[in-house]
Amino acid sequence: MEQLSGAVCDLASEVVSVLRDGDHRPVAGAAAQDGEAQALGVAAVRVLGADVLLPSVLFRRSPEEADLALVREAVRAYPPGEDAPVSTAWSHWGMVRALHRGRAPEGGPREPDVSWAAELPWQPFTHQLSLLAALAVPETGVTSGVGRAAAARPVDLARGFVRAVRRRDWLQAAGAGRWLAALESGPYAGGVPESLGLDSGLEFVLRMGGEDPRVALHAHAAQLMRGGHGPVAG
Amino acid sequence: MSAYESETRDLKSLETDVDAALNPAEADGIFRDSRECAGLLLVVGGLLLSPPAPRPKK
Repeated sequence: MEQLSGAVCDLASEVVSVLRDGDHRPVAGAAAQDGEAQALGVAAVRVLGADVLLPSVLFRRSPEEADLALVREAVRAYPPGEDAPVSTAWSHWGMVRALHRGRAPEGGPREPDVSWAAELPWQPFTHQLSLLAALAVPETGVTSGVGRAAAARPVDLARGFVRAVRRRDWLQAAGAGRWLAALESGPYAGGVPESLGLDSGLEFVLRMGGEDPRVALHAHAAQLMRGGHGPVAG
Repeated sequence: MSAYESETRDLKSLETDVDAALNPAEADGIFRDSRECAGLLLVVGGLLLSPPAPRPKK
């Protein structure tokens, strides 16, 4: 498990690096090796999910071929079972969508069940959404079933963001903050309370938890969606 | 154990790790206890504000 966590953090660091400088280069270099290193790399791609292709989504450019190949391999190697947990099913769906640049592929998987989102109290709702923060991207993500569920409960998500900050759970805070930023950048803008101070909150989360590349990834993605930071979209 | 069996076992264990990484339980919160912080502040403040220790007269 430690090996996989390390590989996921390395991959997230690469994504953060590309988000920061806006370079055109593949993020999944280590995973492109052979043998055991490749198996571990593909597993890391499966865990990070659609975020492997995040730079191409946020900068509106074509994804790198090497990254596309690895995401395809991860989608193939780790199909969700019939009774797969919510995060497994939705993250797989998000990867398939990301491979098709947000469009529903012909014969592709249907949206997994989202009824849980209306039933959960706001604390586990925020936890679950933060696990699915890779879906929090403009357009596709916010109009998916999970995105619509988030848009229906922006105040609960804002409460969850504050709770996560107070608990010093930086990963959950960054994930919830990314959802709030995605909602504000799309058709559901206006639902997030202004009194939340999302921009300062994101900056705080980045300062306090940014050593964890997964936190940095979500926080940078959120800031890019807020339009105030990062390189100019090409 | 053959190389094939060993590889199969490694892949199975990787699958388990991926499932666990995708579905973690909520992390335990780390809280600062306000009363403890206030107590510590009072002690440090008291030490800083206390008069200097008496010195022996020459």
